[in-house]
Amino acid sequence: MLARLAENLFWAGRYVERAEDTTRMVDVTYHTLLEASPDVAAQTWEQLLEVLHLRGAYGPDPVDVATVLRFLVLDPGNPGSITACIARARENVRSVRELVSSELWEAINDLHLALGSRDLGEELDDQPFSLFRSIRRDCMTIYGVASETNPRDEGFRFMALGRLLERAEMTCRLIDVRYGQLEALAGPSQRLLGAHAGPPGLARAGQGADRADFHHWITVLKSASAFEAYRRRYRASMDPADVVEFLLLEPDLPRSVLFCLTGAMRQLEALSAGRASRATRLLGRTTASLQYRDVSDLFDEDLHTFLDGVQDQVAEVAETVADEFFRHHPSGMMHAIATG
Amino acid sequence: MGDLFDDYDREGFFDEVFADPGVRTHYQGVVERLRRLSPTDLERRERIRDGIFRSAGITFTVYGEDAGIERTFPMDLLPRIIPAQEWEVVERGVAQRVTALNRFLEDLYVGEQAAIHDGVVPRWLIHTAEGFRREAFGIPVPHGARCLVSGVDLVRDHEGTYRVLEDNLRNPSGISYVLENRAAMTRVLPVAFAEQHVQPVDHYGPMLLRALREVAPPAAGEHPVAVVLTPGVYNSAYFEHAFLARQMGVELVEGRDLVVDEHVVHMRTTRGLQRVDVIYRRIDDDFLDPVVFRPDSTLGVPGLLSAARAGNVTIVNAVGNGVADDKAVYAFVPDLIRFYLGEEPILPNVDTYLLWEDEQREHVLDRLDELVVKPVAESGGYGMLIGPAASGEEIEVFRDRVRADPRGYIAQEVVALSRHPTLIDGRVEGRHIDLRPFAIAGESVEVLPGGLTRVALRRGSLVVNSSQGGGSKDTWVLEDDADGTGGR
Repeated sequence: MLARLAENLFWAGRYVERAEDTTRMVDVTYHTLLEASPDVAAQTWEQLLEVLHLRGAYGPDPVDVATVLRFLVLDPGNPGSITACIARARENVRSVRELVSSELWEAINDLHLALGSRDLGEELDDQPFSLFRSIRRDCMTIYGVASETNPRDEGFRFMALGRLLERAEMTCRLIDVRYGQLEALAGPSQRLLGAHAGPPGLARAGQGADRADFHHWITVLKSASAFEAYRRRYRASMDPADVVEFLLLEPDLPRSVLFCLTGAMRQLEALSAGRASRATRLLGRTTASLQYRDVSDLFDEDLHTFLDGVQDQVAEVAETVADEFFRHHPSGMMHAIATG
Repeated sequence: MGDLFDDYDREGFFDEVFADPGVRTHYQGVVERLRRLSPTDLERRERIRDGIFRSAGITFTVYGEDAGIERTFPMDLLPRIIPAQEWEVVERGVAQRVTALNRFLEDLYVGEQAAIHDGVVPRWLIHTAEGFRREAFGIPVPHGARCLVSGVDLVRDHEGTYRVLEDNLRNPSGISYVLENRAAMTRVLPVAFAEQHVQPVDHYGPMLLRALREVAPPAAGEHPVAVVLTPGVYNSAYFEHAFLARQMGVELVEGRDLVVDEHVVHMRTTRGLQRVDVIYRRIDDDFLDPVVFRPDSTLGVPGLLSAARAGNVTIVNAVGNGVADDKAVYAFVPDLIRFYLGEEPILPNVDTYLLWEDEQREHVLDRLDELVVKPVAESGGYGMLIGPAASGEEIEVFRDRVRADPRGYIAQEVVALSRHPTLIDGRVEGRHIDLRPFAIAGESVEVLPGGLTRVALRRGSLVVNSSQGGGSKDTWVLEDDADGTGGR
């Protein structure tokens, strides 16, 4: 198929996922901070912006709940805002309407139009919970429709690949947001001690969480739709190390990083059928290194740095996919680009 | 209870359906059917039609209105019917015209320019035509099929004579409406349609693909790769570009999907570069290749013309065809037919005055209130003066324009376009129509039966263009043995 159209589908998958995961993260942050002091809240939002790589785009405005919420949810000038992601997903699907089911186009177009016709600012002030829930549900409708109405052709696989790689990154970020919060709650004196000290929530790995932490980790699990599954596995125990391991490595949990990477691997293998692919090798390496990771080790190191490393590797896979599938140049031109 | 046609008034125009003794023979079957429909029945069928067009997303974009609104192109429920013998003349006439124009363009760009040397058409006229492209000299087109797709606009005058209004040799659009109208009509009025033995149109896609493959460069081998090149989703005719690609089962590409290397065109696919042999481009000459034409064009493909010149790819329609779309050059087409084919034109032009000729110009300036004045390089009904409908002020504006730039305009006698009964708010009224048959030239010329009948929906209007509030009709060409009464 045409490389441009494949790339559009890849990005359509990424943008819908990004919109959904941003919703999940904003939701979890908002609700865990309801009882927090303004200082802690500001610092946590600041962390979320960092984790989403949007701190620069946010600019010099003071970081308060109302402003950050608008920036992340409905600001058309913020390329990472939820409405902007949906708009870009829609643009990408619009250009490949010939290649996808009309139901998929309608699902994504409906969400875009619905967001445009609602007074999102008022809903944020009034009922953010129901707004977040409805966006999450509509995003899942889009995947459901995509999965139930499209043949498993190249186009579908690129879209699925984009979605899974994006989700793998975003789940890393979701864990990182929680980590940032713990850092913020620990206060500046703790952080001055340096990276090796680690934040308190993680320092108690293996000893179970205290009551406040208990509540926060539940929220994180819920935001990844993983709470019920976690409880069935671990019963009443709420150990931060177990939660992190669950979200990173649980092979059967649809939002765990490992689940996403093995799923992405299946798509990539089908797409490169028979061809040597560097992207496949890179992804295989990342998956393997994650799979055989002993999570308790992570608590002796800096979890934040580890999560960043996983994200970098996933980004490299995506970049390699683009090189191998979307950016073909005549050999003569390749040389010109390399030297020019 | 009265019927649909009770109050119908021909108002002195040539009417496609009604003549003096009553309904023309080839319309009797359909009119009989329609008479039996109750108003509710009619409304229901209109609703079915609207549903079909909306869900198919058949729209065009109107420029200059808010946010480039997408509209549907309204199809009238009353079909236009052309009997076999009448169509046979149109078909031969269109094929003759396209054949002569292909010979002329081939001779102009890669031949000896015999028509110029022999004084059939002045050299200065050719060189001052806006669509003339020096850059096209020496670019070969197999079989000389430079106008592979033509959409010749025909009108019928007060006597019912078919006349050519424009040739449209660059990027004629509208074929998607022809096919979609037919698909809709067979669902909205299935019985009336089935009774009539109408010649099919749905082989257009294969017909076009076959011609595109016939003009592939000799180097292309046995299975030439053809693509449709579109400016993109924001183009007003994007729906049609996508439609054609789908009908032919070929890729719909944008300029950025193509890359030229060593004078060979490739498209970027997920499996690497794939050679392209024939490009059915729906991009104007000026935007086709920034190396040769507008350097700021991001729609085109750098190096495309050099690849075509090297004989590695065929650009369809050929570059530079616009020279023959110039309305002053149009006036010479009957002579070009005589010159290149040694035949008399089957379809006459509309009488046209050339305004650089002093005598003709003065004659025209005396009668501006009776004539139509058109800019030579415009199409789509833009920028023209319709004398009988114009104010004194407008006429004076055109008088000045013609005097300042006599080469830039032509004048024509007003043609009282034929009318066709049309459903307007539940009533049948006469509306002016034209006909755009589509001709495909590969190794030989073939004309699709019928074409696009456009309707000027505004009462009294002579302008049928979709951009100016026009609608359309499904156009039925009857099989030989049909006489319009259901073959019984």
